Amino acid sequence: MLVPLTFRPHHTIIERFDPRARWIFSFLMMTAIVYYWDIRFLLFFFFISFTQYFLAHLTWKETRRGWTFIIILISMMVLINTIITSAGTIGAVTQGGHDVFIWNATVPWVGWNIHFGLTAERLWFGFTQIVRLLAITSMFLVLPFTMDPRLYGSTFSGMGLPARLAYSFDLAFRFIPTLARDFNVTMDAQKARGYEMDKVKGGLFSQVKKVAPLIIPVTMNAILSGEDIADAMDLRCFDTGKRTWIIKLTYRWYDYALMIFSGCVLISTLIINHGLNLGNFWMPDWFLGLFHNIK
Amino acid sequence: MAKKESKKSLWKFGTREVVFAAIGAALYGVFAWATNVLQIPAAANVSIRPGVVIPMFFGVAFGPIVGFITGFLGNLLSDWFSGYGFWPWWDLGNGLMGLFPGLVANQMTTFRAAKDIILAEVMALVGIVVGMGVAAISEMWVSGMNFITAIAANFIPAFISNAINGLILLPIIMVAYSAIVKRSGR
Repeated sequence: MLVPLTFRPHHTIIERFDPRARWIFSFLMMTAIVYYWDIRFLLFFFFISFTQYFLAHLTWKETRRGWTFIIILISMMVLINTIITSAGTIGAVTQGGHDVFIWNATVPWVGWNIHFGLTAERLWFGFTQIVRLLAITSMFLVLPFTMDPRLYGSTFSGMGLPARLAYSFDLAFRFIPTLARDFNVTMDAQKARGYEMDKVKGGLFSQVKKVAPLIIPVTMNAILSGEDIADAMDLRCFDTGKRTWIIKLTYRWYDYALMIFSGCVLISTLIINHGLNLGNFWMPDWFLGLFHNIK
Repeated sequence: MAKKESKKSLWKFGTREVVFAAIGAALYGVFAWATNVLQIPAAANVSIRPGVVIPMFFGVAFGPIVGFITGFLGNLLSDWFSGYGFWPWWDLGNGLMGLFPGLVANQMTTFRAAKDIILAEVMALVGIVVGMGVAAISEMWVSGMNFITAIAANFIPAFISNAINGLILLPIIMVAYSAIVKRSGR
C-alpha cells in the first residue's frame, strides 16, 4: 500500500503565490460566503473559486475522487434538507411560499395522512445551496493538490502558529511514508498468518475487532520509536532557541494584493450584510413564472 | 500545590508531545485513509473508521493537546490523501474527539485498571458527542441544513460509527500500551 501524496508540481500561477497568502485568502473567502443566501452574490464567489480551480490546471484524474465525494454530499444535503423535509434554516423559505407540487396520501389500516408539499422557494433554495457549497468546496479542494507539503511547517509558523505546533504539523507529514511502510509490512505479516482485512464478512462488531491486529502493532511500534525520536530531539536541544526553517517564505507584491483583496471582500460582505441588510435569501420573479397553476 | 502541578502538566506541550502529536496525526491519517473501503451496510456515505480510536487513545496517553492535534491534523491528512479537499469544521470535530479523553490523562494509572478504562471510555463518548455535534451543527451554518437534518444525516451516523469503533478498540489499545509502558519502564 502506498499513500498517494496529492501534490504534484503543475508550475501554474496559483503555485507562485505564497502558501500563507493562499490560506488567508481561502479562509476569508469562506467566511464571506457563509454570510450569503442571495445567488447574485454567491455567483461572484462561485466565479472566483472556479477561476482558481481552472488556473491550477488540475486534471480530472487527480480530482475525480474529490468531486465524486462532493457531488454525493451536496446531492444528499439538497435532497434531504430541501426536497424531502419541509423545514429549512431560513424562515422565508419554509414559511408559506408558492406550491409547485402537492402529494397527499393515507396509510392503509392505520389511517395516517401524509402531506408533502414542494414550493418554488424551496426549489430555488436548493439551487442556491448547490452554488454556495460548490463555491466553498472548490475553494479548498485545490489546496492539497497545489501546495508543497515541504512548506507546511514554515507556512503555519509564518501564520502565527507557535513554533512547536508548526513543527508538529511539519513532522506529521514527514512520518507518513514511514508509517505507511510499517502499515504495509504489518499487513503482509498478518496476512501470512491468515488475516483477511478485505473480506467484509460478519457483523459490525466483528469487522471492528478484525482491525485490531493491524492497528495495535503499528501504533505500539510508532510509540516506541516516538520515544527515541523525542530523546534524540532533546539531545539536539530542540526548541531551545528561535526556530528557523530550511525554506524561507517571502511575500511578494501579488501575495499582498491577494490578501488585501480577500480582506476587502470580507469587509464589504460585513457592510452589505449588517449595514445594508442585503445578501439574504432571494428568488427571481421569472423562476415563479416557470411553474403553471401556482397557488 | 500538587493539584496545580498536575493541571500544568496536563496542558504541557514539550518535545515529547510535539513528536507524539505528529505520530498520532500521521497514524490517524494513514488508518482512516486505508479503511475507507469499510462501509456501514445500509448507511449512505458513512464509513467504518476504526482509526478514530487513535485520537482518543493519544489523548488519554499524552494529554488533551496531543489528542486534539492527532484528531484535527489526522482527519485533515486523511481527507487530503483521499482527495476530498479541506473540511475545517469536521477537522475541528475530530480534534475535539481527541481533546476530551485527554482531560483525564493525568488520572490514568496503569492503563489496564478497570477505573482507567471506564474513565477513558466515558470521556471518549463525551468527546464523540461534542466533536461530532460541533461538526454536524456547523453544517447548519455552512450548508444551510436544518437542525433535524444535521442531526439525522450527519450526527447520528458519525456518532454510532465512532462510538462503536472507539468503545471496542480503546480498551484493547490501552491494555496493549500498558504492556509497553511496563516493559520499557517509561
